[in-house]
Formats: sequence, C-alpha cells, structure tokens
Amino acid sequence: MIVASLISYAQAIVLGLLQGVSELFPISSLGHSVILPRLLGWNIHQNDPYFLSFLVATHLATAIVLLLFFWRDWVRIVKGMGRSLRDRGIAPDDHDAKLGWLLVVGTIPAGILGLLLEHSLRRVFASAESAAIFLMLNGFLLYGAERLRRRAPQTEGDDDARLAKQLGFPAAFGIGAAQALALIPGFSRAGATMGGGLLAGLSNRDAARFTFLLATPIIGAAAILKLPELFGPNGDGVRGQALVGSLCSGVTAYFAVRFLLRFFETNRLTPFALYCGIAGAICAAVIPFL
Amino acid sequence: MNTRSPLVAGLVAVAGVALIIIAIVYWAEPASSLPSFFPGHVGKQAAEAGHHHVKHGIAAFFVGLAALVFAWFQTGKKKSAA
Repeated sequence: MIVASLISYAQAIVLGLLQGVSELFPISSLGHSVILPRLLGWNIHQNDPYFLSFLVATHLATAIVLLLFFWRDWVRIVKGMGRSLRDRGIAPDDHDAKLGWLLVVGTIPAGILGLLLEHSLRRVFASAESAAIFLMLNGFLLYGAERLRRRAPQTEGDDDARLAKQLGFPAAFGIGAAQALALIPGFSRAGATMGGGLLAGLSNRDAARFTFLLATPIIGAAAILKLPELFGPNGDGVRGQALVGSLCSGVTAYFAVRFLLRFFETNRLTPFALYCGIAGAICAAVIPFL
Repeated sequence: MNTRSPLVAGLVAVAGVALIIIAIVYWAEPASSLPSFFPGHVGKQAAEAGHHHVKHGIAAFFVGLAALVFAWFQTGKKKSAA
C-alpha cells in the first residue's frame, strides 16, 4: 500500500495550525478541515481513515494544551469534587466542587451523543458543500445567542465562584447537549457551548471559560478513544505528519485560548458570527464550481 | 439535590448498577449475541454480527457511574448547595 504521500508535511502544518485555532474559536474546526482541502484542491476527505487518524493527533494536542493551561483550575476542581464525594454533598460555599459537577453534567450528554451519533453524522454530512452551509448557519446561531442572551453579564468577583453561582445543573446539561451540534461539520462546539452559556445568563468571558473547561475532557476522551487508530494500520504513512500537525496545533491552541480569554473580557461573539456567515456563504457559492 | 429521598436514592443506585452491567455485556458480547431489546443487536447473518459495540458500552458505563454518584449524594446528611 502506498501511503507516504497521503498528507504532505506542508499540508500537515497548515491543517495543524488551522485545527489549533478553529477548535477553540467558535468557527468549527471540523467544518474548516472539510472545506479547506476542497478549496485548495487537496485530495483529502474527512472520512478517509488516515485523515481521521491525523485529526486524532491534532485533537489530542489541543486537549493537552487546554489541560496544561487550566492545570491549577483542574487541580482545585478535582479536589473540590473529592471533598463533595467525601461529604456526600456539595457545600454551599464550595464553588470548585459545584463547578466540577457542572462540568460532569455538561459532559454526559455531549459524550453520549458524540459516542452514538458521531459516525453516522459524519457520514451523512461529509461534503464541503454541506459544511459551508452549516458554517453559515453557525454564524446565525452565534448571532442569535448574542441577541437572545438572558440578562446583563456580571463580571465582578472570582471567575469560578461566579460560574458556580450563575449556572445550574439543568443549564449545564443543556449546554452539554448543545455541543452535539458540533458533530455536524460546520457547527462549532465552542460556539454552541458559548451560545448556551450566554442563553443561561453567563457573560462572554464566563461562557468562554466554561467552554474551555468543558472542552478538555470531551476533546481529550474522544482523542484517546481513537488513539489506537493512529498506531494501527490507518496511521501508516501519516504518523510523522500527525506529530508535526500536533505540534502546530498545540502552539496555535495555546495562543488561541490566551487570546480568546482576553478577547471575551470586553468583546462578543458577533465578529465570529459575521465571519462564519460570510465565509460560509462565499464557500457555499464557490465550492460547487471547483 | 436538596430534596433527599431514600426511595429515589435506591432506585437510582439500582439503575446505576444495571447500566454498568449492561456496559459489561456490550463489551463482552458481539452484536449478534446481545439481547434483542438492546440497541445495536443484529441477526447472526448480518455483516456486523461480530462487531462489539464498545462505544455503547462506554456510554452505558458512564451514565451508570453518574447514577451511582447521584445516589451517593442522595444518601448524604450534610446540606447541599446543588
């Protein structure tokens, strides 16, 4: 089997850089990884086994970066969850424990829907044309979430305490379920989570923080679950490229999360909504003629 | 989770254990050997007869685990914020 030229190193660098940014920006990494190869005329398709193996590596890199970035927060959260298990309840002032269980509740629907629907949804919506249309719809979703936000954001006080106070378990479950939209290439997981957070009454900054915390177990678990594919026959010929792509993805993911946390202190989802709407419309118009 | 009921805790705990057993069945048995009412069951002649529904098992396992944690909280004595 000739596999050495499935993905070139140049392509791996471009796709890795793109993955790191688009996974955390609310603009759909999966949608971009479907659309970009088509726009550039690359013979790469999202359902090709070797490409899935490549994506596993880049996702794992993103998850590792997120874990390290929020490492101190995760240590506090896990300790809080341990306290709550020991005490058989969440103490009213234990914000770390509450946040930890909010993340668990948010992860359950996303994890289950992802496990059960990912394969079939990817197969049905595999084309760049549909990804472009869904990217446009993602723009409407982001804009709608900003327009329909429930109440004025609060920005005073400790981040995690504010999150734990403002967010209830039903809202966390709803936000987690909204992530399932991201199984369709073109819809953004970060966008769905941030949008859900805004509708639940979070500020843009808090919604972004909750999104990144919620993303870590989901992206990491999905990547680890598929890691054997990278080391199996499907990884033949792409492991080197996957390593390079992962490094690129990790670097851009680090800068993306730093940028977004600062960006959402004062800004909104609107610029990303505009980008998705315009880019999706242009791609939907252009791709059929490529 | 402020309202606590031993009945709810017991039912959720039983559901949790049942889901973990279901998870083990998914991991151990191929699709054709699963009970017919399980999602993913196929006939012995089907192309996927030998397939193990690992993902179904993972989903059932974690929901079962979550149910057990919920039941554990329900049996606690301290006042909860959740």
